[in-house]
Amino acid sequence: MAAKVPVEERLFSLVLALLATDAGLTKNEILSTVQGYRGRYSAGGDNSALERQFERDKDDIRELGVPLETVEAPGESGNNQLLRYRIPRGAYELPTDVRFSPDETALLALAARVWREGSLSGESRRAMMKLRSLGVVADEPVLGYAPQVRLRDPAFEPLQTAIARGLTVRFDYLKPGESAARERQVIPLALVQYQGRWHLSAEELAGGAHKTFLLRRVVGPITTGKPAPARPGDHAAEALAGLEEIWARGVAQVEVDPGSDAATRLRQRRGTELAGESAKRLSLRLHYVDLAILADELAGFGPEVLVVAPVELRAAVVERLRRTEAAHG
Amino acid sequence: MAEPTSGAPGGRAPRTRPAKPSRPTAPPPLQARDKLAFLLSLVPWLMDRDGATVDEAAAHFGVTPDAIREAVELIAVSGIPGDHAAYQHGDLFDIDWEAFEEHGRIVLTNLVAIDDSPRFSAREAAALIAGLQYLSALPENADRAAIASLMAKLSRGSSGAPAPVAVAEQSTDATLAVIREAVERGLQVELGYLNSRGEYERRRVDPLRVESLDVDWYLRGWCHLRQAVRTFRLDRISDPVITDQPIEHRLGEVGLPERLFEPSDEDLEVELELAPAAVPLLADYLPGLPATASGAPVRTTVRVSHYHGLKRLVGANPGMLEVLGPPEARAAVHDWATAALARYDGHADGAAADPLG
Repeated sequence: MAAKVPVEERLFSLVLALLATDAGLTKNEILSTVQGYRGRYSAGGDNSALERQFERDKDDIRELGVPLETVEAPGESGNNQLLRYRIPRGAYELPTDVRFSPDETALLALAARVWREGSLSGESRRAMMKLRSLGVVADEPVLGYAPQVRLRDPAFEPLQTAIARGLTVRFDYLKPGESAARERQVIPLALVQYQGRWHLSAEELAGGAHKTFLLRRVVGPITTGKPAPARPGDHAAEALAGLEEIWARGVAQVEVDPGSDAATRLRQRRGTELAGESAKRLSLRLHYVDLAILADELAGFGPEVLVVAPVELRAAVVERLRRTEAAHG
Repeated sequence: MAEPTSGAPGGRAPRTRPAKPSRPTAPPPLQARDKLAFLLSLVPWLMDRDGATVDEAAAHFGVTPDAIREAVELIAVSGIPGDHAAYQHGDLFDIDWEAFEEHGRIVLTNLVAIDDSPRFSAREAAALIAGLQYLSALPENADRAAIASLMAKLSRGSSGAPAPVAVAEQSTDATLAVIREAVERGLQVELGYLNSRGEYERRRVDPLRVESLDVDWYLRGWCHLRQAVRTFRLDRISDPVITDQPIEHRLGEVGLPERLFEPSDEDLEVELELAPAAVPLLADYLPGLPATASGAPVRTTVRVSHYHGLKRLVGANPGMLEVLGPPEARAAVHDWATAALARYDGHADGAAADPLG
């Protein structure tokens, strides 16, 4: 037997072997008989490296959505040597009523292309591969127009995984106005995109308050913790409704120079109202969710915009301008 | 230099170097996990159509013929250990080798273990569901009922519950609607564009693709005025009109650069320092940056044709982005902030000015 078996051949052989068994195979049976392991198996010897390999392979296979399950031998619970592994066919195969029409396939192809990069794009690619195995041909998408989204939040993927696995998470979060990031421990509930930005809806472990976090302000890695208690409900819809409410309540009044970049762009923002107009100034009412983000944006317009209200926004913009001035003086 | 998130040089996405010849969309190389997903998908597809050719399979799965051949060769020698744990003949897949080697036809002559296509993983289903959410969130887009039923189907076809991911409905945007129609119909569009120098120009553009990054939408297309690929902020576009002229340059022909803004060969060099947290957010606007960074501040040099876009970008990222030099660039940023502060003179700390109107 050749010593070196490609990884995909070992994983493929493992899936085939576990699909073909009803009773399941013990770890020892797998390591001693399945292609990719058996050539390196030493009967009666030390197989710890091979066992670790098997543990990693199991994770890889499960990540692909293959339901690799363990069965305990009757009366022998807790004895790992007797634990049996198998892949139940019914949980592995796509249910027969889940089939897609050419139109649906085309729509899914379009949905898969929305994610331009990052983990969602890799997951979409694999999903489309499985979809193609059903044979339906997706022609050019029904819409010749495919918007593409660039997802730049490194916290997205680990949070999504934690939610799917039902785990609590810990992360450092930098709130605007605070000088240092503070650790948060939460039950992650849903990820929602509101006006182009991703938010995490979560329940704080201490106190149980519901909070919405802006992914961009998560600093450093996401660490998963204990399994989280179940929290049924449509958290995504609730989070979006909450953000919409904040947006409707948040109103800023600014003056901009007609014909300036600020005037052109701020007038095209969602919900902007023209509150007054003269040859020299336009008065605009803007809606916003987050004061700090709006302040950053307005500071970038420099002298083209003057914040009238609220006072907190005025102060925030002035503070930003002073900081930029001082750093470049 | 590039077009900042907030405020920016006009349609002046920096000059791309000589338009690269079209890269046929080469499939990315597959990792072991992708390869396994591929094998598990290829087998049921082949079972359903005995005698598919290598080329048909390659076209269907969007991979190279070599990738198909490699996979078929692997499948043909794979199987289950069997009763004697010896991988005997009947325990392995088999193919008609002659048909395969001489005619490029794939005929499975023995089947093992696999009967049907695999389920989606929870994350795969979630990625497609999020994509569908995004599509259904676009104004006037698609059939919402069809999308909802598709999402339910994906959940049923997933091996675990997909994580809840939702995208808020987008508001109707008149510019987006016009641009979208122009892309769909393959027609040139004429638009007004205000650049960061405050100059207004009518431009004629072959619209190629609409992209979004954070809250901002961009049109990427061939600019007839500049005779080059350009990136336009949608919120800087005014009075877009669809013409009856078909586009002259197609997506496959001009090859859109991966990033929104590419390095330019403009004459002014600017040295910048960025906080590591700002790097992924600004990577698109400052060509040459790594995609991510951690630890120490990152220094980079960019080329710009003027400082108008730069001062806006720095102003919108206070404390995150500093211009180190040359002195004229620092002065441009400084003076921009000073001029803005002058408007608040006397009531900078919150005393409200008289509202207009």
